[in-house]
Amino acid sequence: MLTPTAQSRPIVPFLLVLLPAAFLLIFFVIPTAFLLSASFIESDGVIMTGVWTTQNYADLLSRPLYQQAILRTFLIGIAVGVIVILVSYPLAYFLVRTTSPWRGFLIALSLSPLLASVIVRTYGWWVILNREGAVNTALLSVGIIDQPLTLLPSSMAITIGLAHALLPYGVLTIMASLNGLNPNIERAAMSLGAGRIRTFLAVTLPLTWPGIVGGFLLAFAIAISAYATPAILGGPGTQVMATLIRNFMVQALDWALGSAMGAILLVSSILLLLLTSALGGRRAG
Amino acid sequence: MNAGPWNLLRIVVAAIYLFILGPILITAAVAFNESNRSYFPPRGFSLKWWGEAFAPQWVQPLMFSLELAALTAIVATAIGIPLAFAFQRYEFPGKAIVRTITLGPLILPTLVTGIALLQFLTVIGLGRWLGYWALLIGHVIICLPFSVRTIAISLQAMPGSVENAAASLGAGPLAVLRYVTFPIIVPGIFAGMAFAFIHSFTDINMSLFIAKPGQRPVTVAIMSFLDFGFAPTLAALSILSLLIPLVLVALLGRFVGIGNFLYQEQGRG
Repeated sequence: MLTPTAQSRPIVPFLLVLLPAAFLLIFFVIPTAFLLSASFIESDGVIMTGVWTTQNYADLLSRPLYQQAILRTFLIGIAVGVIVILVSYPLAYFLVRTTSPWRGFLIALSLSPLLASVIVRTYGWWVILNREGAVNTALLSVGIIDQPLTLLPSSMAITIGLAHALLPYGVLTIMASLNGLNPNIERAAMSLGAGRIRTFLAVTLPLTWPGIVGGFLLAFAIAISAYATPAILGGPGTQVMATLIRNFMVQALDWALGSAMGAILLVSSILLLLLTSALGGRRAG
Repeated sequence: MNAGPWNLLRIVVAAIYLFILGPILITAAVAFNESNRSYFPPRGFSLKWWGEAFAPQWVQPLMFSLELAALTAIVATAIGIPLAFAFQRYEFPGKAIVRTITLGPLILPTLVTGIALLQFLTVIGLGRWLGYWALLIGHVIICLPFSVRTIAISLQAMPGSVENAAASLGAGPLAVLRYVTFPIIVPGIFAGMAFAFIHSFTDINMSLFIAKPGQRPVTVAIMSFLDFGFAPTLAALSILSLLIPLVLVALLGRFVGIGNFLYQEQGRG
């Protein structure tokens, strides 16, 4: 929307964006572009030799350890996305439809984990799942098992921890999509004799499908680049891309492989995002 | 209406809330253990780990995080206001590109933005910036989308007729900005600051790569201590670091109704 003052001074927007844009160019765009090009350069530790190569990618994609880590990252991402949707859909549906005076408080409560660092959220799962943890204590005292189970480190623990941490994103996306639904369509279905469950399955669920896909892809995209949860609930046997990047960049000081792995993560996220917006285009209305 | 499915849903929802809050409550409970082990349910009762959490070793990174988050929020807002105005009020060549770059860090993995900054600063010979300056730069980049979007939302929500009315009554452009536009978008500015603060305060994915000993946020300090095991001190510290954003949001919510912004902001994602 153009105000009269805006049209008469075309120089104003340039003055407004000049400094912020320069800052972002220097510290965000150039470093990211640099990372992408560094992934194609041969390097000796942190020193780049300047020779162009695709060896970094060949290394990452051919060694079983790295292959498994990449595969594990995506499988965990998919599992996390599915769990986030399955758990957040009933919650979002309840929050949108309830007439409880506590509605505002309940919405805030469901989003409150966003205020906690992912470390706080993951710590609790470690306490629950470790050898002396709450699950083993409970199962031992009831007598279901004689020996404590090894629940950590494992891909399952990482998946549960990430699904828990990313739940608010699913709740927000699905609530937005349920809010955009015209309630008269559901009323029409019910007035024609459909029960609540049939109305949900035949009307509500298909109409909120874009929200479900959007929430899934959002959780998926954040899950594949998460570091803290896999580092705390996983171990050497359950490396994912983020923990490998940390090893390459900080411990092994192999920046070529780190850049290449970072580039794979970056491109995957962009592809997921494009997929989301392509599917989200149908969300309007 | 058929009440059966609805009651079933209520039971499911109660279980989901247990799932959401359980781990956080368990972490809080663990901090009361008598011995230096993370038992749940806690064995014995002691407050000593909460005292431990206030040892200089932990207060230093906690204060560092607070300062970093506050400064990040201020800088991100200072840069975010002109950007939000430009995006919301003007058409100019390259707008789409600048907009994509501004909101990009919200979408790209923070971890990748972090290693890119680490690599770039090292290669151009500014490795000494790693720590405080690199953290401030990096956090401003990843928090900027929050302030820009919240301020843009409040600019968009403002009826344009208000400004036109002031102008038609003889107020100059600066007077309109100062007495009409600014007071109306102040809640948006504060909400954006709060988001930026919280996003900076809870970040680990970026800080992990660009912090250095002595200049690291509390999340990185907790993370590096975790290698030595899970102590009740860390549980106490985790809860303390959760309380800070919680108090901030509660305070702010009293004044500007931040919940509306949270909902609009994230709902668009």
